[in-house]
Amino acid sequence: MIANLVLIFIAAAITHNFVLTYFLGICPFIGVSRKIEQAVGMGLATTFVMTLAATVTWAIYHFILIRFNLPFLQYASFIIVIASLVQIVEMFIKKVSPPLYRALGIYLPLITTNCAILGLTLFMVLREYTFLEGLIFGLGAGAGFTLALVIMAGIREELECCDIPKPLRGAGITLIIAGLLALSFMGFGGLISK
Amino acid sequence: MDKTIIISIASMAGLGLFFASVLALVNQKLKVKEDPRVEEIANTLPGVNCGACGFTNCHEYAEALVKNETQADLCRAGGEEVIKRLSAILGVEVTEKVKEIAIVHCGADASRRKKKANYSGIKTCQAVHNTFGGETLCSYGCLGYGDCMKACPFGAITMVKGLPVIDKNKCTACGKCVTSCPREIITVDKIESEKFAYVACNNLDKGPEAGKTCPVACIACGLCQKLTDGVFHVENNLAQVKYDKIKDIENVKEVASKCPTKCIYSF
Repeated sequence: MIANLVLIFIAAAITHNFVLTYFLGICPFIGVSRKIEQAVGMGLATTFVMTLAATVTWAIYHFILIRFNLPFLQYASFIIVIASLVQIVEMFIKKVSPPLYRALGIYLPLITTNCAILGLTLFMVLREYTFLEGLIFGLGAGAGFTLALVIMAGIREELECCDIPKPLRGAGITLIIAGLLALSFMGFGGLISK
Repeated sequence: MDKTIIISIASMAGLGLFFASVLALVNQKLKVKEDPRVEEIANTLPGVNCGACGFTNCHEYAEALVKNETQADLCRAGGEEVIKRLSAILGVEVTEKVKEIAIVHCGADASRRKKKANYSGIKTCQAVHNTFGGETLCSYGCLGYGDCMKACPFGAITMVKGLPVIDKNKCTACGKCVTSCPREIITVDKIESEKFAYVACNNLDKGPEAGKTCPVACIACGLCQKLTDGVFHVENNLAQVKYDKIKDIENVKEVASKCPTKCIYSF
């Protein structure tokens, strides 16, 4: 049981990382990975939304959608859940840390449309996770997202001092790095099946 | 079939209502009161976050202004225009400021700069300066790698023949270039009158030594001091100017042209 939970966590965080193996949530991955502090803030906000979204959508799916035989409503209802959670996070950050709120800017409300989160809830339903498994899955996915963001931000901070060939500056080198990172994460792929 | 439609509508409406009420509750708990003037001031400020006002960014300066913790005339980047608009928003009087500008105290372009070594490393002034004091023979003058140009948030600095040239109209005297220069050859000074002159040299070596190092160095001959009755004065082997007294000199251009190494610039 516990071994299973650990496996789900590690799979979501590392071997099947949402950003670097499923390529979900690339927008904030590229957009908010300039500074480590911002990346950590974004990662934590997304982790919070992911974990809560996983639990709340699990409850909605099993107690409402399945019971009344309405699984076709899963997309609409999941989006409602995610959007409200993001709103709460937004208010919370605005209250607690205005500088972080301004630094994250448009990317904070954009967590709503972050496909990593909708993907997470849909995967959870598809793989028929139990409530506890879903919770761990959300935590793991959030941790993986934060990890990817922080690694990327660390590399990009170092990159500021590098002599990059002119045509590759900006988006070019960022995408190349993202690709290399994805390759290295995919190296873990065979470790856990699923 | 009908039942499914009704149930789905009801459940979605229920979910929507539930989350709406949760949001309303949270909103009440976490409401942040923000003075609308903060946003207005932040939009008035140039938004380049240069830090010349002493705050980390424009938004923090705006917040401090609204809280009445600071003066409204600190924004150098925006100039008079912004200061006027700020004082209108805040309802305070602000006295007019004297125009300030960044001045480069070195006149040795790449062709006149003598080298003591060949450098091939990281191409920033800071790195060059940290490597055995730089490649130039003069240990006071411009290195020419353009740290100041990169630091300028307004694009007022261009590197011409390895020397920074400051665009007087674009320069806002924010002082970013002053701190970016490892050799401290840039200063921000007040221009009080039409006439203006400055010494384009930073070399504190004794006259003959400075002369050997650089063809356009100040050799501390003291001619300008004699010609201007002390407005120019030699201190630490380098001519200095009392900027507030330049208006007393009759012909600034003539003084500049008499300098034997032509290191006095005037406009």
